[in-house]
Formats: sequence, C-alpha cells, structure tokens
Amino acid sequence: MRLCIAQWGLGSCRGRQNPRRLPFTSRSACVLIPGQRSGAAWVMVQLRPRASRAPVSASAMVDEGQPASEEEAEHGLLLGQPSSGAAAEPLEEDEEGDDELDDEAPEELTFASAQAEAKEEERRVRETVRRDKTLLKEKRKRREELFIEQKKRKLLPDTILEKLTTASQTSVKKSLAKLKEVNLQKKNEECEKGSDSKKAKEKVQKVQTVGQNKSYLAVRLKDQDLRDSRQEAAKAFIQNCLYGPGTNRTTVNKFLSLDSKRLPVKKAAAQFLNNAWGSQKKQNAKRFRRRWMVRKMKTSKK
Amino acid sequence: MWGRGGERRAPRVASPSAGMGEFKVHRVRFFNYVPSGIRCVAYNNQSNRLAVSRTDGTVEIYNLSANYFQEKFFPGHESRATEALCWANGQRLFSAGLNGEIIEYDLQALNIKYAMDAFGGPIWSMAASPSGSQLLVGCEDGSVKLFQITPDKIQFERNFDRQKSRILSLSWHPAGTHIAAGSIDYISVFDVKSGSAIHKMLVDRQYMGVSKRKCIVWGVAFLSDGTVISADSAGKVQFWDSATGTLVKNHLIADADVQSIAVSDQEDSFVVGTAEGTVFHFQLVSVTSNSSEKQWVRTKPFQHHTHDVRAVAHSPIALISGGTDTHLVIRPLMEKVEVKNYDAALRKITFPHRRLVSCAKKKQLLLFQFAHHLELWRLGSTVATGKNGDTLPLSKNADHLLHLKTKGPENIICSCISPCGSWIAYSTASRFFLYRLNYEHDNINLQRVSKMPAFLRSALQILFSEDSAKLFVASNQGSLHVIRLLEGSFKHLHTFQPQSGTVESMCLLAVSPDGNWLAASGTSAGVHVYNVKQLKLHCTVPAYNFPVTALAIAPNTNNLVIAHSDQQVFEYSIPDKQYTQWSRTIQKQGFHHLWLQRDTPITHISFHPKRPMHILLHDAYMFCIIDKSLPLPNDKTLLYNPLPPTNESDIIRRRTAHAFKISKKYKPLLFMDLLDERTLVAVERPLDDIIAQLPPPIKKKKFGT
Repeated sequence: MRLCIAQWGLGSCRGRQNPRRLPFTSRSACVLIPGQRSGAAWVMVQLRPRASRAPVSASAMVDEGQPASEEEAEHGLLLGQPSSGAAAEPLEEDEEGDDELDDEAPEELTFASAQAEAKEEERRVRETVRRDKTLLKEKRKRREELFIEQKKRKLLPDTILEKLTTASQTSVKKSLAKLKEVNLQKKNEECEKGSDSKKAKEKVQKVQTVGQNKSYLAVRLKDQDLRDSRQEAAKAFIQNCLYGPGTNRTTVNKFLSLDSKRLPVKKAAAQFLNNAWGSQKKQNAKRFRRRWMVRKMKTSKK
Repeated sequence: MWGRGGERRAPRVASPSAGMGEFKVHRVRFFNYVPSGIRCVAYNNQSNRLAVSRTDGTVEIYNLSANYFQEKFFPGHESRATEALCWANGQRLFSAGLNGEIIEYDLQALNIKYAMDAFGGPIWSMAASPSGSQLLVGCEDGSVKLFQITPDKIQFERNFDRQKSRILSLSWHPAGTHIAAGSIDYISVFDVKSGSAIHKMLVDRQYMGVSKRKCIVWGVAFLSDGTVISADSAGKVQFWDSATGTLVKNHLIADADVQSIAVSDQEDSFVVGTAEGTVFHFQLVSVTSNSSEKQWVRTKPFQHHTHDVRAVAHSPIALISGGTDTHLVIRPLMEKVEVKNYDAALRKITFPHRRLVSCAKKKQLLLFQFAHHLELWRLGSTVATGKNGDTLPLSKNADHLLHLKTKGPENIICSCISPCGSWIAYSTASRFFLYRLNYEHDNINLQRVSKMPAFLRSALQILFSEDSAKLFVASNQGSLHVIRLLEGSFKHLHTFQPQSGTVESMCLLAVSPDGNWLAASGTSAGVHVYNVKQLKLHCTVPAYNFPVTALAIAPNTNNLVIAHSDQQVFEYSIPDKQYTQWSRTIQKQGFHHLWLQRDTPITHISFHPKRPMHILLHDAYMFCIIDKSLPLPNDKTLLYNPLPPTNESDIIRRRTAHAFKISKKYKPLLFMDLLDERTLVAVERPLDDIIAQLPPPIKKKKFGT
C-alpha cells in the first residue's frame, strides 16, 4: 500500500511555490487510511512541499523523537507506523533515478549535514511564519485602537453619557397626546373584551428628559403619523375618485354660463368680471388718490 | 357683480296714513356665508325626523312634521369627517367617519355621548340591523366589523371575513341573515352567522365596455326577496340575485357616478342620486295592468341639484336628497301624499334656520359667525338724502374691524356681541370665550377674559342684556347662567336650574330691554320666563306642539312675541301672565293662508323704540312689519300688497291696508334689524354667491355650446 504524499496549499494550488507559506500546520489534509478503517476514519497526514521532498522525507522518517510541534509528532508517528518503510522506497528509487540521469558522481552528503540543513530551513520557515503572525496581530491591534479613539471622539463627553444611562434606567413613561391616552384606554377595554383581531399598535411612548434644563422632549410620533397617514390616504382616495383625472368636471362658471349661452339673446358668462384682477394696482391708485387729495387741500388752504 | 358686494343704502317711504315712516336701509352683502355640503342623510321613521350630516362634521336634526324645521344640531369638528350616519333602535343616532371612530349622539343633552375607535382604519360605511340590536361597520382595510348595541354603549362582537379592498357600502337583508357589502370592482354577500363571504359578484367597470378606471360601488341595497341593488361609479344600477350570485338586470342611467341609493320600507320603490345632480325614482310596477308579475322601472327623474347628490333617503311619502350644492331637497310623492295641499310641494332648505348675525345697534357693528372664525364689521355711512327707491352713495365704506379665529378644531356653536359693542362672547363644544373690546380712534383693541368658570363649558345660546352689564348663557345641560360683567372681569350671579321636560330643540333666549325679564325656550314644557331681578321663575307660556323659531320681548309693554315653526305668532304679556288681546284676536281669526304657507321660519323679531304697535320680523324671503292697530287680513284680502303708487286716492289705500306690511325687496335675507328710528340693516346672501364657491360640478354637454 502506498501512501501518496502530496503537498498543496494556497501557493501550490495556484501553481506557485511560496516557501514562506509552508507551515506544516496548515499544510495538512485528511486522508483515509485503508488499514485503519475500523478506527478513526480520517487521519491527519502531513503533506510536504515538492521542492524539498528528499531531505524532508528523510527527516520525517528519522526524526521521530524530536517533534517541533504536536502535529508533527502525530505525523511522524503515523508515518512511522504503517508506511515508513513504504515511504522510503520510492524516494530512494527517485534518488537512484537522478543518479542514472546525471553522469557526474553524486555529491557526498552526510546524513547529519542534510538533517541539519533541513532543520535550519524548518526553523527559518517557522520563524518567518511567527513573525508574520505577530506583525499581523500588531497591525490589527493598532487598527482597533485607532477605531476606538475615533469613536470616542465622535461620542459625547462622558458626563452626559453617564446621565443618559442613569436616565434610561429610570425612564418616565408618558403618553403625550390625549388621543393616545384615550386610544390606550379603549385598547385596554377592547383587549379585556377579548377581541383578538385588533392591530396591536405601539402601546407606550418613552419620553426621555435630558439634563436639568428640560428644554426639549423626545417623543415617538410614529403612531400618530400612522393614523394620520391612513386618514390622509382615505381623503386622497375619495378626492381622486370624485375630482381626480378621468372625472368629467368643469368649473362653476362654465356650468352656470351654459344657460346664458343658449338663450335667444346671448348673455355674458355668470362670472364675467374678474374682480380680483389688478388688486395691487387698485390699492396703489387709491393711496395715490388720497395723498393727492390731501396735498390739494393743503395747497388750497394756503 | 361677484365677490363681496359693497353696501348700499336705499331709503324707503311707506304710506303716510299707515305711519310706517321713512327708513334708510343698509344693504349688506359682505357676509361671505357658504354652508358646507351635505354628506349623509338618515331618515327615522318612528319620529319622522331626518338626520343630516355635512362635510365639516355638523349633524343637524330636522323635524319633518314640524314644517321641516331644524330643531337641533351638533357642531362639527375638523377631524370628524362623517362618512356614514344611521339611526338604530328608534332614538339612537350613530355616525362614523374617516378618523376611524363610531360616535353616538345624545339627543337630550345635545352633545356627543362617546366616540369608540373601531380599529379598522377610516370607516367608510355603517348600517344598523333591522332589529336594531347590531351595528355593522365597513372599514378601509377591507374588514367588516359587527358591534352589539347595548343600552348605554356599543360593544365589539366580531369581524367578518376580510376583503381585499375598502368596504364602501353596506346593507342588511331585512331578515338580518345576510349582508351585502360593496367595494371596489366587486360586491360581497356575507352570511351573518358564520361571518364568511358566500358570493363575490364582480362588477363590470363600464357598461358594455372596457375602462381603466376602477368601478366603485357607492351604494348597495338588499331586498327581502334576495335581490341586491347596486349603484356604482360607471353610472349603472344593477340588480343581482344573491342566492346564485349573478347579475339579473342592468340599467345605465347616467354618464357620471350614481352615488347613493335608498329603498322604501315597503320595498316597492327606491331612489338613486347621481353626480350630475339628478335623482331617479325607480318603482316596482306590474308588467301589464292585471298581471301579478312585477318589474323595476325607472319612473321619474328630478333635477333639483346642480352638484353631486351624495345622499338620498326614502320616507313613506317623500324622496329626500342632499349633496355638494348644500341644499336639502324634500320631494313629497304625489301618489303617496294623502292630503293634496301645499304640504305636498317641493321643499328646498338652503338657508340656516337660526341667526348667524348679531348686531350692536348703538355702534352700528355687525358680528358674523362662521364655522371657525368671527368677523366684526362696522357699517358705512352716508350724508346724502334721496327719494323712495334711490341708492345713496357711501361717504364712508364698511370697515372690516376684526377677524377672530377660534382656537382648536371645533366649530363655533353660537356667538353674540353686546349692544354697546364692547363685549364679544362665543362658544364651541368644549370652551367658552369672552373678549373685551376697546375702541380708540378707529383702532380696536381686543382683550380676552381668561379663567372662565368650570360650569361655563359649552353654551347653546348666548345673550347680553340691553345695558351690557349682564350675560345670559344657556348651557347644554339645560341650566341658565346669569353673569354680571365688570370692567375686565365677571362675577357669577345665579344659575337657573333646568326645568322638567325633555329638550325639544335648541334653546333660544330673549331679554327685555329694561333688564327685568328673561325668556328661554327649547323644552317641551313651553317657554319659561324668569325674573332677573329676583332671580326666580316667573311664569311659563303654555306649551305648543311646534318648536319656537324666534323669541323677543317688546320694550315698555314687556310683551313676549313668539314665532313657531308652523308660522304662528303669539304675543304673551309677561306682567299679566296671559296672552294679549291682539294675540287672541288673531288666533281666533287665523292667519292668512299665504302667511302659513311660507317655507322658511321666522328667525328674528325686533321692535321700534318709539312705536309700540309695530313688530318687525323676517324670514329668508321677506320681511314684515306687523301693525297691531290696523285690521287683520282675512283669506280673501291680498296679503302681499306693496305700496300703491302715490297718485292713487287715499280711500283705496285705506281699504287695502291691513296689519301685515310685507316687503320682498331684500332677499334672501340672513338678518334684518332696526338700528335706530330711521335705519334698517338687511344682510342678504344671494344664492349665486354661494354657488360660486362650491366645488366643481360634472360637465354637462349641451347642443350648441
């Protein structure tokens, strides 16, 4: 049984290899190990990057006693148990394959140095990851602080906020208009009588007074608006039905003048004169006349 | 010609033998009185009364058996736009409007008993069950609500199935088992027991055609054989069968909306009103003269209105219609009237049946009462003289001194100005206002007297005494308050408690010029006369079965002159506590038949300060000076005899002269009074001026125009 080990991550999915984003923790996948079907179905398997396949695999195989993190230990153990032997074979085969291709003599690479290199790389990678994390964290922290400061600037000073919180605790419930009171009483009566199909309107209005000088009152006018808007809508409906577009209406003047039009001797319209015409001009003329009279009287007296 | 007419003076010379004298007449046409349109009409069969509601919320009660006199009214309110009015259980009156409330009126205390919110939004229609125990209300949200009428209130019972659009008209089946509800584009028939809709009958939008405008079913009526009659905005009157939910017959009667329908109690005739002002009468007539099969036929059209007829009612003998043109028209049907006399003539009620103008004689001021404000005018003056019939030019124009707006949404019930002109008092349904006026160099200074006493809440009638030192207020609880007026304040002197007897009509007050006697009418017990100096009841004029329309006490003789709605005039001597000799004579002989056939009630009576034998009274179309020294006319003499030309001999003049000197020169009159010995004031309101301010009517296409 072969355990195919593959590595993918964000970078490798896109075809890129981003060595910085290779923490082992995020590069894990769930694989079903056939041999362990009775037990836990899914097992976390460590997946390795393609590039450093050879040395990593070696360290994974050998480095069982010193796991950098718990997950690595798990992976090491898991890998160690069933398929450590199996994993080794293909790699060795690969190495052999490389040797066959190259004419040069293979490099002398001691196991210890390879191990050390691998460890170094691991460490570096881990450290970069940690640095990144801490940097991000700090950034986030700074942003949060900035937001908090801005918010604080926007809010009212502390003193008023205190007052508000104390006032809301002892909120005065008043209903302003008499209508609403009456409404409330009637509603209560209706509720007592056991009518279910009534619309539950807003029961109570909260009135908050702020500060010692009660120069204003905050009131919910939503209910009054609702009732008025319905009444307005009804009035608009009837106005539209009777006098809106599509109705065949005419002015009173034209209506009353119809008879005078049909007389044998035609008469003028009922409202022939427009007395409202030029009212300002007439007023000015009257004033001028009065002033002229006064002036005339004065000169005649002299 | 149009707009506010100016004021003209015209002297009038009466015959010297009668000694009427010469008068200068102020013709006043600047009272811009426009009544509000009639919205609903409800007829009460038991008491033969008609309740009429207007667009400003006023509800008036007319007594049809008392010569169609308006006996009571409930003042309007800005937010109360009534859309439906109905009588229930005999004597209870309910109305509902766009503010969503059902209001019951107290006909004895003349105020509103209570207003109950129906919680369905604006209410469009209301109908009382034939048994009188239930009330049905159709609302804006499409729900039909059923209320139970308990002895002192109404109680919500249940909702019927909710419909899609607003319920604009309702009608009960005479058995009380089914209901027809007219809405927009359809009519639903409900079963009362289950509350579910049995049928939904779709109404065509146009007669045999297609139209974009929705068809609004303005009126429905349910007959006892299951036929539902509908009147809609396409001008159709349709007959539906409620058992199958199908259309039986279709009548297209008008180009405009058919807005109202009313069925008689015998269900053999109904009346519909259209937006063009035409009223159609439908009758159930047999197909041929001896067959038993009957069908509905449109028999008579009546064109008495110029604008929309929004309300009709059917009494056993008459068709009643009212609409936007503010007339109330009562048309007795000739086949139903038993006695064919002048009572069967058409009655058109246009002008108010009570006084809206008060006069301060010494200062020549007129106070006009509108729905929401008062206007104070000073009459103009002239220095010219002329002959009989001349129009004299004014040297000083009439002056609009004051425009006093009332606070709050309620209408003004009554108002009065003191004879000296320095006090104005008016009352709405919940408050009483008293103002002090100061005149200085053509300027007027108004000061409100604050802190009215608690008992002075709403007054039905206000009157100042002749010396302007006392104020008499008739409150709607039946009590009469006497208040002494001091400089800038007042002092409550006494309250006359209500006497026994039911309230029949609005209270009228009259005070004697010497300030000793106060007369108050309005109850079924008769006219009470109180002694103001001793503050107790002096006597009661015996009750008469017609309501009092005008009341006045003559100077010096202290004769109380009472005019009733059947045009009878009585004269009662207060010190003697009995009718005067003249009154007995005229009662024995009877009034002239033309006098009794007048349509409009006498609204004001006044007297000449120097001539105790003269009584001046007026109604809407004439004014009359009764000379008690002259012989009374009998039925054969000419009642209305204008002055013969002066070149006729004295003998003829003396032969035709009788006590009633009537002049129809100034009409229509809203108010007429004697300012001083030589001056009269006549406040006229031409009908054209009222029509000019009405909403637009439907266009009528006439050939050639």
